[in-house]
Amino acid sequence: MMLQTKKWRQYGTFYAFVSPWLIIFITLGVFPLLYGLYLSFTNYTGFNMDKLKFVGFNNYKTVFEDSESIYALGRTLLVTAINVPLSLAIGLFLAILLNLKIKGLSWYRTAFYMPSVVPVVSTVLMWKFIFSGEGLLNTFFNRLHLPQVSWLGYEYATTALIVMLLWGAGSSLLINLAGLKGIPADLYEAAEIDGASPIRKFFTVTLPLMTHVLFLNLIMGSIASLQMYIQPILLTGKTLLDPPIKPNYLYLVHAFQQIFAFQRFGYGLALMWVLFIAILLLTILVFYSSRYWVYYETEQEV
Amino acid sequence: MVNSGINKLPLRIAVYGLIALLTVIFGYPFVLTVVNSLNPLGSLPTLLPAGFDWNNYVLAVTMIEFPAFLKNSLIICAIYVPLTTMSSALAGFAFARLHAPGKKLFFLVITSTMMLPQIVTQIPTYILFNKLDFNNTFYPWLLWGIGGAPFFIFLYKQFFSSIPKELEEAARIDGCSTLRIYWTIFLPLATPATWTAAITCFQWTWGDFITPFMFLKDENYPLATALATIGYHLPDNPNVVLQQPSSAAAILFMIPTIAVFFFGQRYLVDGIAAGAVKG
Repeated sequence: MMLQTKKWRQYGTFYAFVSPWLIIFITLGVFPLLYGLYLSFTNYTGFNMDKLKFVGFNNYKTVFEDSESIYALGRTLLVTAINVPLSLAIGLFLAILLNLKIKGLSWYRTAFYMPSVVPVVSTVLMWKFIFSGEGLLNTFFNRLHLPQVSWLGYEYATTALIVMLLWGAGSSLLINLAGLKGIPADLYEAAEIDGASPIRKFFTVTLPLMTHVLFLNLIMGSIASLQMYIQPILLTGKTLLDPPIKPNYLYLVHAFQQIFAFQRFGYGLALMWVLFIAILLLTILVFYSSRYWVYYETEQEV
Repeated sequence: MVNSGINKLPLRIAVYGLIALLTVIFGYPFVLTVVNSLNPLGSLPTLLPAGFDWNNYVLAVTMIEFPAFLKNSLIICAIYVPLTTMSSALAGFAFARLHAPGKKLFFLVITSTMMLPQIVTQIPTYILFNKLDFNNTFYPWLLWGIGGAPFFIFLYKQFFSSIPKELEEAARIDGCSTLRIYWTIFLPLATPATWTAAITCFQWTWGDFITPFMFLKDENYPLATALATIGYHLPDNPNVVLQQPSSAAAILFMIPTIAVFFFGQRYLVDGIAAGAVKG
């Protein structure tokens, strides 16, 4: 009897502790989410709330028939396919360099990590100046007698965007360093006794034992990259509501445009739901595949 | 030794050389921005300092309503950051140390909301708040703050899970309530997690310009939104961006986040290690 009340008491405590999160999550998370889902099946355009018409899957059909959204999706996948692996590789490389027991570690760590601490508005203001026509990069190119490049023009706008994104690749540094510290030293010793070269040690010890950290970085990085819209708009658009230059017209930029520039709420929300579901499926797929390539030292409680 | 490989002198030189080069690459954009924020107004960009003109900073602060926007930024952070941290800690503790039916499901929900594009819920919320007349007030941040953030709940859960059971049991035998155990034992032990959450949350909130852009009007914009939408232009030609004051503003705007990072660096390293690696 005593145990029973104790048990119920604990349930009560649990729910009391999570209630601030739970209440807000239901009212400002679940409810808007479903409301948005409902609106994505209507012709809502910002003013017609009183005479909303249910349009079935029309908005969703438009997502796949609209050449703009297909183009934007293609660009998004391209940017993600370049940005995410490079970011991962740079982040791991920086961490490995700093893990070589060098002097002044904390200074270099700060230097590499700093770009990811800077707010995106400042980052873009800095890089816009660097990339601009008479900007620093061209001044630099001039010194080296290289031809001037229109960095924010049609041809190079995506390169510029990716360069700016890679500048922040140190964001995974702290996690990577922690991961590297977690690799038992005796594994390296054993490899050394077997006469393994540094490169072999990297592939047989470091990389396999870092897979769980890389996995986390891969998931978080891909999600962030697929949902990117602020950076291209700020870097290569005139104002927040103007579309950025075509090559940087990414998927969520398209959704943002539909909603804020054209008030096509229904269609914009359908675009977002498609992305959300795609990301969800992708994440499940990556999670499922992870058992084949991610190494965990202890049994995981999932 | 793990790193016996770099004991040879030529290799050591190569490693330090590479690190120095990378430091220059990652640091140079900062240097360039500072240099150009001090150049004469309207001058072409230079790679090395061409002057030392504090006036650009004066312009950055006076050309737009900088103090008013700064005040709004501070209000939003003051409302949102402490609330989110506190609420996330509470929920994280519950997920790590308490048991109840539905716990696993809720935790799954939390981890999956981490991958939800924020904007998917923000737009319907905007429509909703419009009906409630909440738009153009700071109430939304109060409510969101109470709700915590999935990422921090996750972080706290990881951190609280690693604390030995004995501490809790000893306190329970002494007759402490769960809230007391949480407040006097667990929360103090989670200081690195708290700093990590608070610092990260501050950086997000300080830099977030899109949420205020949706929910507030010009006069209530924080600095982030003001810099992203208003900016610095020639008064009679909005197409000409004034680079030097813009650079100065970019520097001024990033100082708080950098300062907070320096202050909390040692906690961040511990906090992220605990939160991410034990995953």
